Amino acid sequence: MKKKTPHRLGRAAEPYIWILPSVILMAIFIIVPIGFVFRMAFSQVTKAGLIKGFAGFDNFSKVLGSAKFSMVLKNTIIWTVLVVVLSTVLGFILALLLNNKFKGRKIARAIVVFPWATTLVIQASAWKFIINTDYGALNTLLKSLGIIQSNINWTPTPEAFFGWEIACGIFVTIPFVCFTALSGLQSIDNTLYEAAIVDGSNYWQKLFHITLPLVKPSLTVATVLNIIYVFNSFPIVWTITKGDPASRTDTLVTYLYKLAFYNGKQGEAAAVSVIGFLILLVCASCYMVSTLKKGED
Amino acid sequence: MRDDIRVNWKKLLSRILLYFVVVLICLFILYPYFVMFTTALKSREEIFSMNGTVFPLKYMWTNFADIWSRAPMAKYMLNSILIAGGSTLIAMLCGIPAAYALARMKFKGQTAFLGFIIVSQMFAPVVLLIGIYKVMQILNLTNSILGLVFVNAAFNQAFTIWLLRGTFMSISAEMEQAATIDGCNRVQAMLRVLLPVAAPGIVTTLIFIFINAWNEYTVALCLISTDTFKPLTVGINIFNGYNMIEWQYLFAASIFAIIPVVILFMSIEKNLTSGLTAGGVKG
Repeated sequence: MKKKTPHRLGRAAEPYIWILPSVILMAIFIIVPIGFVFRMAFSQVTKAGLIKGFAGFDNFSKVLGSAKFSMVLKNTIIWTVLVVVLSTVLGFILALLLNNKFKGRKIARAIVVFPWATTLVIQASAWKFIINTDYGALNTLLKSLGIIQSNINWTPTPEAFFGWEIACGIFVTIPFVCFTALSGLQSIDNTLYEAAIVDGSNYWQKLFHITLPLVKPSLTVATVLNIIYVFNSFPIVWTITKGDPASRTDTLVTYLYKLAFYNGKQGEAAAVSVIGFLILLVCASCYMVSTLKKGED
Repeated sequence: MRDDIRVNWKKLLSRILLYFVVVLICLFILYPYFVMFTTALKSREEIFSMNGTVFPLKYMWTNFADIWSRAPMAKYMLNSILIAGGSTLIAMLCGIPAAYALARMKFKGQTAFLGFIIVSQMFAPVVLLIGIYKVMQILNLTNSILGLVFVNAAFNQAFTIWLLRGTFMSISAEMEQAATIDGCNRVQAMLRVLLPVAAPGIVTTLIFIFINAWNEYTVALCLISTDTFKPLTVGINIFNGYNMIEWQYLFAASIFAIIPVVILFMSIEKNLTSGLTAGGVKG
C-alpha cells in the first residue's frame, strides 16, 4: 500500500501514477505500432519487413498510382456508407418496434442480441453457405417452399458478392444501433407524449418533434462509432470473398492485409494504413469535438 | 359508442401488425443460426447433394462429437478462454485506476488523455497490424497467446476506461471522503467503498471485454501460425479448406464458439447499452 504523501510534489504526481499502467499498455501496443506504420510508410521496406532508409512519398505514389487502389477506395466508401446508413435506419425502426409494450418483448430483445454477440467470422461463414449457388441454404429453402424450381445463382458477378457482403454487414450492425436507440427511447419522459396527445398531435408529428430530437444524441454516438468499426471491418469480406476476384470486392483493410502479408509490400501497405487514418481522422475529430462539447453543456 | 369500437379495431389491427413484423424480423435474425444448426446435423453427402432438404434426412449428432477428434478443439477452446480471460484481467487492472483518476481527480492533461482515449478508438488493430507485428517481433511475442492478450487488452482500454469512468462518476464521492476521514488512504477507499457499489458496472465492462477478446479474429489470424496456439475463431477454419469446406464440422464447431458468448451477452445487454450512451453523451 502506498503511504500518504503530504509532500506537495507527491500529491501532484498522484493522478499520473493512477493512469500510468493504462498509459504504458496503450503506449506499447497502440502508439508504438502507429509510429512503426508511419515510419514504414515513408521508408523502403524489404520483402522480409526490414526498414531500409527514407523513401519520401514513393510508397504513396505507388499506391495511389495503381488502378486497383481507386477501385478499393470506392468499394470502401460504398461499403461504409451503405452499411452505416441502412443499419442506422433499420436499427432505429426496430428500436421503435421493440419500444412498444407487448408480450414476448424480452424474448424479441434477446433474439436481436444474437448477431451482435456472434463473432463476425462465423456469421460471415453462415452467409457464405446460405448464398451458395450449388448447395446453399437459400436455394434449398426456396425450392422446398415451391417458390423456385431450379437453383438461382445469387452471386453471378463480383458486384453481387459485394452486395451480399454489405447485406451481411448491415445484418450484424443493426443490433448495436437498435440497442443504443432503445436506451435513448426508454429515457424519454412519457409526459411529453401525453402532452402531445392533448395537443392533438398524430403519430408522425410525435415521432419527428419529440422522439427523434431526443434520441439524436444516442444515435449520433452510435453512428460515429459505427463509421469507424465498419470502415475497419475485416472478417466479413475476408471470409466471403477474400477481396477476390482481382480486388473487385476488396476494402481498404483487406487490401492492405494482402499487400503486407501475401505480397510482401509492407511499405505500400503502411501507406494504405496512413491513408485510412487520414480519412478516419476527420470522423474521429468530429466525434471528439461533438462529445467534448456536450460535456461542457 | 361507435368511435370507441373504431379505436379498438385500429388498436387491435396495429397490435397484430406489430406482432407480425416483430415475429418476421426475429425469424430473419435466427435464420443463419437455424441454417448452422441444421447443417451441423447433416452428413457431408447430404450437404453437397443437389436435392438438399431444409431439415436433415438423417440426424448426424455424431458431428458434434467428431469435431473434438478431427481438430484440437479442446485446445482452441482453452486458448480462447486464456486469451479472453487474460485480456480482461489486464484491461481491468490498468483501466480501473485510470478510470478512477479521471472520475475523482483533477490533473493537467486530463482532457488530452480523454481525447486520446476517444481518438484511439479509430485505430483498429487491423490497420496497425504491420506495426503490431513489428512490436511483437521486438518483444518476442509473435505466435504467442500472451501477445494476443496484451493487444486485446490495449485495444479495449478505451471502452474499459470510458464505461468505468461513467460508472464511477454516477456514484457520489461522499462515502469515499468519509472513509478517508476515518483513516483510509485513497487505494483503500476505492477498493472497499467504491468498487463494491460500482460492481454492476464493473461486471458489465468485464463481460464486454471478455466477449470482444473471445470474438477477436484478425490479430489472431495474423500473429498465430502454430495450430495449437489458435483461438476458436481462427482454429475452426481448419474445416474451411481451400478446396473443400467441411460445412457440417465448421458449423458444429461454430456453435460451441457462439453459445457461451450469447449467454454472457444477454446477461449484460441492458446495462451495456445504457453505459455506452451515457459515457458518450455525458462526455
